[in-house]
Amino acid sequence: MRRIHHPAIAGTAALTLALAACGSGDDGDGGGEGAGKDTISWMSVVHTPTTPETDGVIESALQDYTGKEIEFQWVPAANADEKINSALASDSLPDLVDLGNITNTTVRQAMTQGQFWEVEEFLSEFDNLSQISPETIESAKINGTLYGVPKQKPMARYGVLVRQDWLDNLGLDVPHTIEDLTEVAIAFAEDDPDGNGEDDTTGFYDREESFQLGFRSLAGYFGAGQRFEVNDAGEVIPSFTTDAWKEAMEWYRGLYEKGAINKEFVTLQKQNQYDGIYQGKGGIVVTGLFEARGFYEGGLAADPDTTMDWALINDMTYEDVPRRILTDTNGGMGGWYAIPRSTVETEDEVREVLGFVDSLLDEEPFTLMTNGIEDEHFEFDDDGVVSILDQTKWEQEVQPFSSSRPSDLVITFPSAQPYVDLGNELMEENAEHAVLNPAQSLTSETFDSRWSVIEQQANDAYNQYMMGQIDMEQYEATIDALGGEGLDQIVAEFTEAYDEANG
Amino acid sequence: MWRRRTLYLMILPGAVYFLIFKYLPMGGLAIAFQDYRPFLGFSGSEWVGFDHFVRLFTEDTFFLLLRNTLTISFLLLLFAFPVPIILSLLINEVRLRFFKRSVQTIIYLPHFMSWVIIVSLFYVMLTTDGGSINNVIEAAGGEPISFLTDPAWLRPMYVMQEIWRNAGWGTIIYLAAITTVDTQLYESAAIDGAGRLRQAWHITLPAIRPTIIVLLILNIGDFLELGFEHMFLVMNSLNREVGEIFDTYVYNTGIVNGQFSYAAAVGMFKGIVGLILVVLANRLARRFGEEGVY
Repeated sequence: MRRIHHPAIAGTAALTLALAACGSGDDGDGGGEGAGKDTISWMSVVHTPTTPETDGVIESALQDYTGKEIEFQWVPAANADEKINSALASDSLPDLVDLGNITNTTVRQAMTQGQFWEVEEFLSEFDNLSQISPETIESAKINGTLYGVPKQKPMARYGVLVRQDWLDNLGLDVPHTIEDLTEVAIAFAEDDPDGNGEDDTTGFYDREESFQLGFRSLAGYFGAGQRFEVNDAGEVIPSFTTDAWKEAMEWYRGLYEKGAINKEFVTLQKQNQYDGIYQGKGGIVVTGLFEARGFYEGGLAADPDTTMDWALINDMTYEDVPRRILTDTNGGMGGWYAIPRSTVETEDEVREVLGFVDSLLDEEPFTLMTNGIEDEHFEFDDDGVVSILDQTKWEQEVQPFSSSRPSDLVITFPSAQPYVDLGNELMEENAEHAVLNPAQSLTSETFDSRWSVIEQQANDAYNQYMMGQIDMEQYEATIDALGGEGLDQIVAEFTEAYDEANG
Repeated sequence: MWRRRTLYLMILPGAVYFLIFKYLPMGGLAIAFQDYRPFLGFSGSEWVGFDHFVRLFTEDTFFLLLRNTLTISFLLLLFAFPVPIILSLLINEVRLRFFKRSVQTIIYLPHFMSWVIIVSLFYVMLTTDGGSINNVIEAAGGEPISFLTDPAWLRPMYVMQEIWRNAGWGTIIYLAAITTVDTQLYESAAIDGAGRLRQAWHITLPAIRPTIIVLLILNIGDFLELGFEHMFLVMNSLNREVGEIFDTYVYNTGIVNGQFSYAAAVGMFKGIVGLILVVLANRLARRFGEEGVY
């Protein structure tokens, strides 16, 4: 029996694990003693399954360039929130914290309570940081104050990826409307698009975070807002309460019933989803348009003879709803690089840390974190086109750093991989159709303290509806009940703030 | 005391360990009575008395948590607790030394696997998206069963996984207890005509009864402490309603949603109930003439 040992150990161990990544930065971060910061401890989120080795080639190259000793504390994206929360709670923060989830209640509270430096006044002192667009700065503020350097991203990166080779096999055209997409999804599930004679494919290949990512983006085509929207009555309401959202849910549920979505997507983790896509289990993925390259490389690794080919679609529309795409980057703002007051104590030190971030925005470190080291990871041909030399090496040594870039927009490299160029182009086109969150820079105290809990319940209800555990009426009832748990209050506070801001 | 100083010296490391890692952190429980804000710290946060406890006892969630936790604990006690006892009785009957050792080694193995691995293994087998068990069910003409998302399957799955992982390991203590039984007892029982079954019932079981009782008391003391990891891994939004237990709730409210004080209050409540249960179970054991744990 497990319980011979004290089971608290299990819980404690989990907590310790959660804290370990944060606590390990205590040595060497200076804590304010002595002038200058030679070491920068940096909590950075990593989206790849493995973290790069300490003092690996890229890290060393970055240290040489910036002249700082960098101590990375890698946090896997899947539990970034909890690690950051426990670091905040125990006040064991590094010099520089990557805060990607801008709706995280604890982070917002920590910011407004002054746990992080206000950085706006410093930005003008730096070459690169002073170039951040005023719109991005504006959308990064909470209550009119900027508590961290905004991460610069494309306005909207999402789209729909469809297996082109499967379309060809079935004689279908690339879908550009939801109606066509529906047909394609059903055909992928029923008509054996990979031609192997087995019923082993489906249309959409979604994952656990459907409510937050894949489905949310689809609901956007139906007209649902980016997390919040302003309704006809002038109220700022969460989009999961709107008719467009519910219509999208009914549509998606219909597809699910027809077997055109993978059966247990509500439990599927990101890496398993990717593996399934590599293995050709599903032919439609709603995701960032930059992902096509990775899917292709992964498919090739899974089966060297694969015919995998992706159609990238950025202009999906539904009925008479005009072309639109929900931003997945908060309108080009991928979160903050925040500097805690507890570890960085003086303004001079703040300048040092900001100077570090600033230097990362130069072209050389950007190239390092994007492509790697020339002739080791990639090469330029005569036209300046980048080709990756060894995909596996690049994935291990370079790719983890790509999410640590303070901006994705420093240089756009032409690539030998056509998906990359096409993806970049389509993401750029997205910008003018991007739908932003009207509540992003608005203030609501209830939002800051209750939103995580409310959203979780809406997310659960969505999953239950998709799996057929509850029907639409019960979904609506759950959403109605959230009103009493603070949602009504949030709507009221946001509406008031919205009216104030827009006269 | 001075006379036995070497003995006291020997318990010192253990005592220091408990002091530093078990007793000192208890000071942190203070935040259960505060509106703890990380930036303000212990000294700066506002004191709110029993507010968080009032919230816990008045929210519907409380009964859900209590029900789920108690149900699973009962199921574990009923199904998982006896398994190592039966298993060790069986192993004890094996006469072939090599076979006995191999079986023991093999059934200890799962204990050394982390829950992440075990749950992942089960995931691959149980998923309706091409999991082997559902493939078999479908091949036999049945409807696939959503083991992973159907609330009705969560508890059986949880208990099975507990048994699979820990039953073998649990036999160690019982087997050790069994080795202390005087073999003359078996011989004389055999002379009196007792078969294997009777020997196990009348000699082995009574001999290990104190061990069983001690382990039972420890188990009851941890009635609300199911451990966080396992449930966290098997729970998802579809079975949350039967899966949410105190440990996962503390994690979700405290670490994920950042309501540190409230989570501390929930955890403290759980700890106090656990303490009361241990004391009660121990008293009960003594009343029945057993030794108890202290």
